[in-house]
Amino acid sequence: MSDIERTMTGIAPDAGAVRSDLESLKRLWALAGPLRGTVLTGIVYRFAQSFCLGLGFGTAILLVTDLLKDDFTPTTGWALTMTALASLSLFGQLLFGFLSSKITWFAAFDLGAELRLAMLDRLRRLPLGFHLSRNRGDTVTMLTSDMQMVENFMLDGLPRIAEAFGLPIAILIFLAFQDWVVALAALASILVAVPVYLKASRRLAELGIRRQDMQAAAAARMIEFVQGIAVIRAFNRLAKGAEDFRAALQTFRDLSVRMVLRLTLPLVGFGLILMLGVPLILFAAGWRWLGGEIGAATAITACMLIYATYGPLLSLIAVMEATRMADASLTRMDRILTAQPLPEAAAPKEPDGFDIAFDDLSFGYGETPVLKRLTFTVPERTMTAIVGPSGAGKSTVLNLLPRFWDVGGGAIRIGGVDIREMSSERLSRLITVVFQDVYLFSGTIFDNIAFGKASATQDEVEAAAKAAQAHAFIEALPDGYRTRVGEGGASLSGGERQRVSIARAILKDAPIVLLDEATAAIDPTNERALQAALAALVAEKTLIVVAHKLSTVRAADDILVLDEGRIVERGGHDDLVAGSGLYASLWRHWTEAANWRIGHK
Amino acid sequence: MADAALTAEAPLVGAAEQSERPDYLSSFRLIWPYLAGQRVKLAAAVLLATLSVALELVPIYLIYRTIDALVVGDLTTASLLFSVAGALGAVVLGYAVLGLAMMVSHLVAFDALFRLRLALSRHLARLPLGHFQMRQSGEAKKLVIDDPEKLELIIAHGIPEGISAVATWIAVSAWLFAVDWRMALAVILITPVAFVLIVLAMRSGSRFAGAYQAAGQRMNAAVVEYVAGMPVVKIFNRSGEGFREASDAVSAYAALEKEWANAFLPLGGTFYALVLSNVIFIVPVGAFLIAGGGLDLPTLVFFVVLGANYSRPLIKLFNLFHELAHISMGSTLLEEVLSAPPQSDTGKVLPLDGHDVSFDDVRFGYDAHDVLHGVSFTAREGTVTALVGPSGSGKSTIASLIPRFFDPRSGRVSIGGVDVREMGLDQLMDTVAFVFQDTVLFTDTIAGNIRFGKPDASDAEVEAAARAARAHDFITALPQGYETRLGDLGRKLSGGERQRIAIARATLKDAPVIVLDEATAFADPDNEAAIQEAIEALAAGRTLIVVAHRLHTIREAETIVVVADGHIAETGRHDELVAAGGPYARLWDDFMAARQSSLRGTPATVEDRP
Repeated sequence: MSDIERTMTGIAPDAGAVRSDLESLKRLWALAGPLRGTVLTGIVYRFAQSFCLGLGFGTAILLVTDLLKDDFTPTTGWALTMTALASLSLFGQLLFGFLSSKITWFAAFDLGAELRLAMLDRLRRLPLGFHLSRNRGDTVTMLTSDMQMVENFMLDGLPRIAEAFGLPIAILIFLAFQDWVVALAALASILVAVPVYLKASRRLAELGIRRQDMQAAAAARMIEFVQGIAVIRAFNRLAKGAEDFRAALQTFRDLSVRMVLRLTLPLVGFGLILMLGVPLILFAAGWRWLGGEIGAATAITACMLIYATYGPLLSLIAVMEATRMADASLTRMDRILTAQPLPEAAAPKEPDGFDIAFDDLSFGYGETPVLKRLTFTVPERTMTAIVGPSGAGKSTVLNLLPRFWDVGGGAIRIGGVDIREMSSERLSRLITVVFQDVYLFSGTIFDNIAFGKASATQDEVEAAAKAAQAHAFIEALPDGYRTRVGEGGASLSGGERQRVSIARAILKDAPIVLLDEATAAIDPTNERALQAALAALVAEKTLIVVAHKLSTVRAADDILVLDEGRIVERGGHDDLVAGSGLYASLWRHWTEAANWRIGHK
Repeated sequence: MADAALTAEAPLVGAAEQSERPDYLSSFRLIWPYLAGQRVKLAAAVLLATLSVALELVPIYLIYRTIDALVVGDLTTASLLFSVAGALGAVVLGYAVLGLAMMVSHLVAFDALFRLRLALSRHLARLPLGHFQMRQSGEAKKLVIDDPEKLELIIAHGIPEGISAVATWIAVSAWLFAVDWRMALAVILITPVAFVLIVLAMRSGSRFAGAYQAAGQRMNAAVVEYVAGMPVVKIFNRSGEGFREASDAVSAYAALEKEWANAFLPLGGTFYALVLSNVIFIVPVGAFLIAGGGLDLPTLVFFVVLGANYSRPLIKLFNLFHELAHISMGSTLLEEVLSAPPQSDTGKVLPLDGHDVSFDDVRFGYDAHDVLHGVSFTAREGTVTALVGPSGSGKSTIASLIPRFFDPRSGRVSIGGVDVREMGLDQLMDTVAFVFQDTVLFTDTIAGNIRFGKPDASDAEVEAAARAARAHDFITALPQGYETRLGDLGRKLSGGERQRIAIARATLKDAPVIVLDEATAFADPDNEAAIQEAIEALAAGRTLIVVAHRLHTIREAETIVVVADGHIAETGRHDELVAAGGPYARLWDDFMAARQSSLRGTPATVEDRP
């Protein structure tokens, strides 16, 4: 898959602009779907909890204002009333806090499960090209840690945001009834600070990405030092390596310092602006009292509530990072959630025979064209070899046939039917692809081979294993065909794994086989067994092979010579080698290498 | 008191924490030596942070004074303006000081990380080379970037904010008790209760730690399998199976999260409600005291204003402690690496008697069990010695003992009669050139990468080496030629091209002993001929030891050493070995059969052979 990798790595993963916190919340809200009601209930309860805490402050205020009355004498009964109110507040907080947590947490867990299931389902419906062009680890990360990040935000960040606003809102409403000027004074710094917060958060995210980008190069050089240390030592260049490392490290540190200074400022700014409300309320309350506009009780009330107003809002700073991280995760997850499966034919057609025809086919990964106007046919049960220099687009030809990607222009037909007009299930039954990197599922060897055919019997599985040169080594394992492979199971060698996977393909018995011959050398004994297994798989099939072995190329019925995405030559080996084209020169190279030996000129 | 916040992140933390007792002090132990010379600055950061917290208390006091004046009714414009100005000044100054504290503490932090990483790199360079063969790029990143980076949190935040939080807590407590001990008790009463509850909640939640972790691992494994197996699933059109296991694992995980929450929430939820409810206990106690005539109104107001936020610094400490537990795992790992013993180095330059490489009854194993069981052979100067055998037989292991990637368990490896452990590492590295199976090139120009073999090489020498390595032609065909940059952001080369640059690098080094570990393994046919020519050029007049699968390339080797199961099975020249009919003859037979097979009509089966 080297073509793909080369093309795909050129694409920047994250070109989009950073969303604001509000936009991310909106996206999360959209994803919450049927859980929205539950989430909302959780938030309402969280507000109720904050209001109950407000009732506690209200009791304190009632207590003070009672005592300010000229003719008031505090009695035990009065103290009991205060105690009752405080108890009510506490009880309300405990009750609503518990309900809110329980509802929100469970909603978060449910959302986590549902989004994971949605992504799993989406993944299996996406074309294989989507999977091949991505780092496998990234996809796993999205389903596990990224989703966990979003889940954590739901159960921790969201309630904290609700909590941050709950008590301040309750207090502002209360103050508005007392005196609108004081209420406005209390509101003023919040109104200025919240936009600053949103801006700061966005800036924080942008700077974070910039910091990552800028540090990436220095980090890469530091990692390179560790990985390359054996080479550095082998060439006795420790001094140079250490010097490079030190330089990278210095860059890394300087960038860290510069970025942190720029990140600190917006956060300190938000806190400062918000807390300017403290002197402002104090001034407003005192001034209004001095002017005789409000009573002492109101002024004292306002003063007592100053910290209850701003304290919760300050804790938004701690939520900021969690919000940003959840947003980054959401953005990554959206790449799966918004990716489109290939269109399915509305009225699937049945192929007539298994001839393959490429008709004026063009294709590119992204903007770069890889294949340019290929036209050729592969008659049933023949063997076609594709050769050419690396980067010519050989593997891509194989990838288009099972619709890992859809063609850009032109069409591919099997048995006269455009592959896009077949059902994907039918197409999949027609074709077997032999991958270079073998994947065995955790399970028994039997299960792995029988994967090729749902109803396979023991005899069929054994016959396939025998054909794939795998029967003898399987029998020699402690539990034979019932031996478990994969994690915690028996470890098979690379060659053995390959033969198990070929047995699986033999059992599938598809009429068309696509094969990308391995270039890596393996030991001769394994290589020989592998060749025999492959021969059993492709016997009597229509075979297209990206060939690297001379003997394979020579045996092909038809050879396509590809260069820069075009067919430059085509024909049988004898004809081509007699010519003076690319194939003839490639062939000279190969035979030269094949006859070469160390110490022999 | 500023941004203390509750953390409900407990589901993850709690589970991870209980499984292994974290060493809270490891991070401090690790970082302390690298703070040398910065400790005064760090102390300044701590003082500034504490000052900023102290400044937060000033407005509270001024508010209390104003309320007091309002109660008595003697608030004047002057005293109001004084309080307002004071509060304003304290807020502005407080945040300025906080900003300054953060700047200083971050400077200290990044400086300490700089020293730590430098020390780490120096130490890594002295460890046995085999240490690094096992390191994946992810591991290397974790070691040198991620784990040290986490310590920033401890230096830049943990130390200054932790100490200032403790200072505030003590100061506020003292202040409260100084004013009225009964009301002070009312304020602090609920805090220890709340913390006992959270500890109990985490303990009852931790009953699920094992199951929780297992469910997480199951989900992870199922997802990995689902994604990794996707090509097979799609080719065989069996998307049902894998999906079922993965979705079961996801549902089981969610179910366990809920079970955990049910165990945690009754007490944990109570903690979250209680810990910030100090006011609820201040009010009744105050009311009764006032009713009994033992308390005046301004004092009560003082407790409401100051006491309501009493728990905040403690919550901050609690959260810091949690993070410390997280970080400690990475710190313990770093401590381990830094304390791994470096490779022995005599530093001597000893006279060598030629450059024959000899193995003398060498035993070696990566772990408790041996993979080499008494290997003896000699590779003569000026000849080619080939190591062949099945995968896993120990060929590459033998090769890696020559440049001391590992040291043998017993027996000895010598060059020119001198044990490789006796000569200094510098001499050994000057004597041996090693071309690795997976080629490492650096982020640098192509010329820079080749010159790595000899730093003072002229451009002409670099080009000559590239020509000898058959790399000159493809290099000059690149737009920037020898100045083309390689690496993550630079140009990508094919496996064969990379190998030829590695060979050019080794050529330039001009060492008398050359070890090639499957240097043609990843070459495609287009590159193979060129690489083979390059090796040819490298071999002239040296001791050349090659590990090879493509047997035709070593047919002419003076000595072929056949390795099987960590033993030397036989030694000889190609024709002798083929004639002997032993393991090599069978390998050769397999090789020729595989080479001539053509996918169509190869009847051979090899399995049932003895």
